[in-house]
Amino acid sequence: MRTERYLPYALIAPSVLFLLFFFAWPLLEALLLSVRGGGGGWTLENFQRMAADLYFKDALKYTLLLALVVVPLQVVLALGMAMLLGGLSRGRDLFLYVWTIPLGISDLAAGIVWLAIFTERGYLNSLLQALGLIEQPQLWLSYETPWMIFLAVVAAEVWRATAIVFVILVAGLQLIPKEYSEAAEVFGATPWQRFWRVTLPLLKPSLQVALILRTILALEVFAVVVALGGRNLPVLAGEAYYWYNAYQNPGVAAAYAVVVLGISVLATLVYLRLMRPRQEEAA
Amino acid sequence: MASIRVENVEKTFGRFKALNGVSLEVRDQEFVVLLGPSGCGKTTLLRIIAGLEQADKGRVWIGDRDVTLLPPRARRIAMVFQNYAVFPHLTVYENIAFGLRMQKVSPEKLKANVERAAALMHIENLLGRYPAQLSGGQRQRVAVARALAVEPEVLLMDEPLSNLDALLRLEMRAELKRLLAESRTTTLYVTHDQVEAMSLADRIAVMNAGAIVQYDTPMRVYQEPASVFVGGFIGSPPMNFLRLRVEGQRVRLGSLDLEPPAEVGAEVLLGVRPEDLEVYPAEQPQSFAAQVLVVEPLGPHLLLTLNFAGQAFKATVPPDFPAAAGQTLWLRPQPSRLRWLEPGSGRAFATG
Repeated sequence: MRTERYLPYALIAPSVLFLLFFFAWPLLEALLLSVRGGGGGWTLENFQRMAADLYFKDALKYTLLLALVVVPLQVVLALGMAMLLGGLSRGRDLFLYVWTIPLGISDLAAGIVWLAIFTERGYLNSLLQALGLIEQPQLWLSYETPWMIFLAVVAAEVWRATAIVFVILVAGLQLIPKEYSEAAEVFGATPWQRFWRVTLPLLKPSLQVALILRTILALEVFAVVVALGGRNLPVLAGEAYYWYNAYQNPGVAAAYAVVVLGISVLATLVYLRLMRPRQEEAA
Repeated sequence: MASIRVENVEKTFGRFKALNGVSLEVRDQEFVVLLGPSGCGKTTLLRIIAGLEQADKGRVWIGDRDVTLLPPRARRIAMVFQNYAVFPHLTVYENIAFGLRMQKVSPEKLKANVERAAALMHIENLLGRYPAQLSGGQRQRVAVARALAVEPEVLLMDEPLSNLDALLRLEMRAELKRLLAESRTTTLYVTHDQVEAMSLADRIAVMNAGAIVQYDTPMRVYQEPASVFVGGFIGSPPMNFLRLRVEGQRVRLGSLDLEPPAEVGAEVLLGVRPEDLEVYPAEQPQSFAAQVLVVEPLGPHLLLTLNFAGQAFKATVPPDFPAAAGQTLWLRPQPSRLRWLEPGSGRAFATG
């Protein structure tokens, strides 16, 4: 009996140790790194240096803007795709697999794919030239047009990472018994009313998971941005990378990481609070 | 209020023929039960009437409207689902009000209807709660109240009591009967429970293998089953069927001399309910002898399993009847309660 009681703990111990060693410890180290000065004392020097940096404001602005534009767009698209998939009776699996292909592509590769489209001698310019819409190849991704870079990143991110939201929502929709929708139908709800009044409220737990996951990942956006814009479109994760690598300053890099962490935690708390299931609803 | 008319409805799922040209008429204000074993097509038929399934062939009428091609929301029906389908994200009040909100009725009428339906189901005190805070029986009441609140032309119920425990089911059965007799709503009710069907129905449509095999009042379905299937499906224990030889247009059963219908062949099935056999410990005129195989005391009566010429059958006797296994008893069927059936097809001969 003794072994049976301890067996579950023994079984989860490796994963807990793994997480503690590879996540909790580095996290703690990073936190300490950001608030330690050269002499070893506590200091806010790293944060001051970060805030005074030329790129900081833009990095913060573009990171938040990207999350603000990309995440809602992905949720709406994924919701639409998931609902469409639910309406299919044949070929459902085929569409599911095709729509989730981008999940298998690394974000750097995704950035390079879109670079191949938008670059000076890329597919977009070739197409526009062939159609006679432009005479000369246009420079889309230049430091003079950060908004173009921004839109390219949005396109690449939506293309790359909508699938994860889609997969979560498809799984969520499958958990809703079809009787609810049928009852709504019998009691006079149009398809649109069924979606707003029954499906969407019942999908709330899955939406919450998808929103939290995607927002955190959006705040960490890095490889796609680097591929498409380099530092012409500064983002927080990118700045952490430059400070660590190019400037050899782990303290400021850690400060950036802590800012990303702080925003992520804050966003998660907001989602949890806003989409909290009423106590009475919990089955 | 409206009648329901189903004409020649066929439905196939893949290779499985669920409905085989079913026709059914439910009169205005009538309570009809669709009764049959699982897989007989009764729920499919109900869902086709609701509009949740499309028939491959045939038409459905509600009142004088042909609703075959209408979506469920345009059929002016209400439905109670087997697992209730009470919306978990809405309060009891909002659940009951759901259909009325969809119809965009005035706020006064909405409030009045919700409160009336809640009062009918005795759930006035639960209106502010969420379904997760309710017991199964209470959710069931909410589901029925939601259906009554819209004052439907037709009420459809899909095994509404099957998820309740036995005691609660008995209570809800009587309550539903009272309620629907008062509201006079045309009701079509699906169940596989023959006791439920007997207790509730004005008429029972017994279904088997995608067809209606008998459609009549409960007592006639019970006493005059149209086939071996109906006699065996309804009644617990089911009807006995004794296979007997016909000799010169007569059937001899012990000292009993019976006259079968004129159109019988060489053999005939005699259907008799266990409670319609009078049992005697000593020989009687007009009776046949059988050996007791098993005696089962069931409380209100003893259930005997007997053997007659190699055929087992059942009879019920009062609890104080002296019976023991191995004993020989004499049985005399009530002549008016005999049912003659054709052994090949299992169908009953028309009684004169």
